[in-house]
Amino acid sequence: MSARRLGVRIVQVAVPAVLIALWYLATTRWGVSRILLPNPVAVVEALKNVLATGEFLPDLRVTLLELAVAFAISATSGVAIGFLISRSGYRIRVYEPLLAAIYAVPLILFLPLYVLWFGLGPASKIALGATISFFPVVLATIAGFGNVDRVMVTAARAMGASNFQLFRFVLLPAAFPVILAGMRVGFTVALLSIIGSETLASLAGLGHHIVELSENMEMPRMFAYVAFVVAIAAVLNLVVFRLEAWGRRR
Amino acid sequence: MTERGALRRALSPATLARLGVIAALLVIWEVGARAFGDPLFIAPPSRVLMGLGSVFGTRGVPGALGITLFELVVAFALAVAIGLAVGLVLGLNGFARASFMPMVLLVYGMPQITILPLFVLAFGIGPTTKIVFGVTHGVFPIVLTVVAGVQNIKPILLTSARAMGASFWQQFRHVIFPHMIPSFFTGMRLGMTGVLLGVLLAELYVSTAGIGFFTTQFTQNFDPVRLLGLIGTLAAMAVVLNAVMRGLEAHYARWRD
Amino acid sequence: MSNEPAIRIRDVSHRFGEEGEARNVRALTGTSLDVARGELLCLIGPSGCGKSTLLNIVGGLLAPSAGSVEVLGRTVAGPRPRDIAFVFQENALFPWNTVRENVDLGMRFQGVARAERAERAQRALVAVGLADFAEHYPAQLSGGMRQRAALARALSLQTGILLMDEPFGALDEQTRMILGEDLSVLLAATKKTIVFVTHSLGEAVFLADRVAVFSARPGTIKQVIAVEEPHPRKPEFVTSAKFTGLRNQLYGLLHDEIRKTMSAESARPATPGALS
Repeated sequence: MSARRLGVRIVQVAVPAVLIALWYLATTRWGVSRILLPNPVAVVEALKNVLATGEFLPDLRVTLLELAVAFAISATSGVAIGFLISRSGYRIRVYEPLLAAIYAVPLILFLPLYVLWFGLGPASKIALGATISFFPVVLATIAGFGNVDRVMVTAARAMGASNFQLFRFVLLPAAFPVILAGMRVGFTVALLSIIGSETLASLAGLGHHIVELSENMEMPRMFAYVAFVVAIAAVLNLVVFRLEAWGRRR
Repeated sequence: MTERGALRRALSPATLARLGVIAALLVIWEVGARAFGDPLFIAPPSRVLMGLGSVFGTRGVPGALGITLFELVVAFALAVAIGLAVGLVLGLNGFARASFMPMVLLVYGMPQITILPLFVLAFGIGPTTKIVFGVTHGVFPIVLTVVAGVQNIKPILLTSARAMGASFWQQFRHVIFPHMIPSFFTGMRLGMTGVLLGVLLAELYVSTAGIGFFTTQFTQNFDPVRLLGLIGTLAAMAVVLNAVMRGLEAHYARWRD
Repeated sequence: MSNEPAIRIRDVSHRFGEEGEARNVRALTGTSLDVARGELLCLIGPSGCGKSTLLNIVGGLLAPSAGSVEVLGRTVAGPRPRDIAFVFQENALFPWNTVRENVDLGMRFQGVARAERAERAQRALVAVGLADFAEHYPAQLSGGMRQRAALARALSLQTGILLMDEPFGALDEQTRMILGEDLSVLLAATKKTIVFVTHSLGEAVFLADRVAVFSARPGTIKQVIAVEEPHPRKPEFVTSAKFTGLRNQLYGLLHDEIRKTMSAESARPATPGALS
């Protein structure tokens, strides 16, 4: 390994190590308030406890359920509507800028409205998650189907392809990678929206639980949950990433 | 593009159709809300517009909006300053980039919303929390685009400058920096989106003061007129800020293909 | 005018990468050559024979693995902006600056005083025929005009030596022809020493006082041919028997080297360095 590579590795290991060391010292020696920063050892203990007792399960179930339903709604409607829009250049020119403009607004703003309509239960989270994740899917679908090379369509038609055959053998394979990428973004965004809306206004779910713990000043447990949620999000993202890569290779 | 050309494009059939779609949606909303809508849950757009006065008349709302705007501006300025500085360092120094980029990407990928309660505990319910949360959301796209802008420079441009005798500072000022500017403005547009998200999330979370207080109040009082008015105003603010950033980005990226 | 050669290339070799590394390539081996003052020398050879590498070494952009280069009596140890100007094949104009700004910037790097820059820039732009396009951006110009701008930038630096690495390589045949003729006229007036890398046989014969023919990689100079014809070269020269004879001579020298290079490319294993 070259000297520079070694140096890079050293820095990448040293920086987190130093930060953790500082964290430990701050809470044990330097008297930083426990309300703010719990002892890292206590956090690890709390994490082990949480995992062992499985107390995270009900909240995890709620969050995952919300995620699944929201994404199912946004993925199917996004692809369907995106496909319909992509059928004509005119329709694309009319609708795509509109959808892109709406997506540019921080749609989390609509959470209070959904809470007004659906209450503090899972329904409002699902509604917001579906709303926000609809846009990357529909925009990617429009782009995917809309940018299929005209030459390929012409060639297929010249060889006598029916509408269905054109869709199945030309449009879908061509658009697939782009749509898949849009779905990946949609999934990630749905997860973030749901955790976010659970944090802001909910009675259950992982986001809500973290808020509850912070309000009760149960810091080690709160930190443990944060680590847990970050890990879950990372795992889900990795899975989605792999699925996308696998889907692309088919 | 000529003035005439831009105007013609603005009024193209597709644009008119789009305005038509928006108008149709507004009509459906108006009619639907009047005919079927429970006034506890929904209000027609006409009533929302007329109710804007009462939204702004509600004591504390203009103040909250003003503070939110202040938070947005400060958070954006900080995100740009930090993002540009960090981005330049990482872009120019290969060792720093190799060491720290993975860490930056890791933190960027983390769902920051989970630690919002922690931020509130640390910084309180005032503007500081909102500004900090805005900065942590907005700084990453700026860092990444600045790094890309510095990295993407065609090597021949730097070789050419070196052959003509340019010192490192001259190379930076006359080659690297101008090359990076379009990416920087793209980063700032994305950074603005991030700052908006961070600040608004923090505002909505704190239900005892600021915007969050009023959204909670209007929701609990089943007051869709004022709730929609408030949300609409914030959305409009976001749209305007985004449009400004897009305009700046387009202007400064002129020389790019 | 001194009789000392402007450029002395002494036994220069160059290798990219370390022994044993995958990227190890011997680009240039034991090359020596003198370039007289006011001479236009062409370097021609198959792909990968090291002619561009040699040019970069002469210009101080690359330090040779072995051997040395003297320019105007002093050993080259880095870029010599006051003595040497480059024109590259790839578009090296700064896209965010106008043509005039590009020319001005080159002189700023060199260290020319502000008062002089405007006047020198104007003269250079007039000389290459771009005076009317000085406020344009590179993206608005054709390939040929961009290279004229690059040449104007190099000329404004008023160096004794000009190194040109396939400057017309990216242009179509007709533009090359015109630019070649214009270059010949221009250079006859300025008496610079020029080293010019090209792939084109016709271009080499048309422009050069001498042509150095390279062998396949690892490259070295196989033979140097003299073209004794006064500057500026007339368009009629291209159709003369002398031109054809010289061109044929070059073809004969190069043909085998090109074949060797092509068969070496196709015989190369999938993982580079596996043979060494």
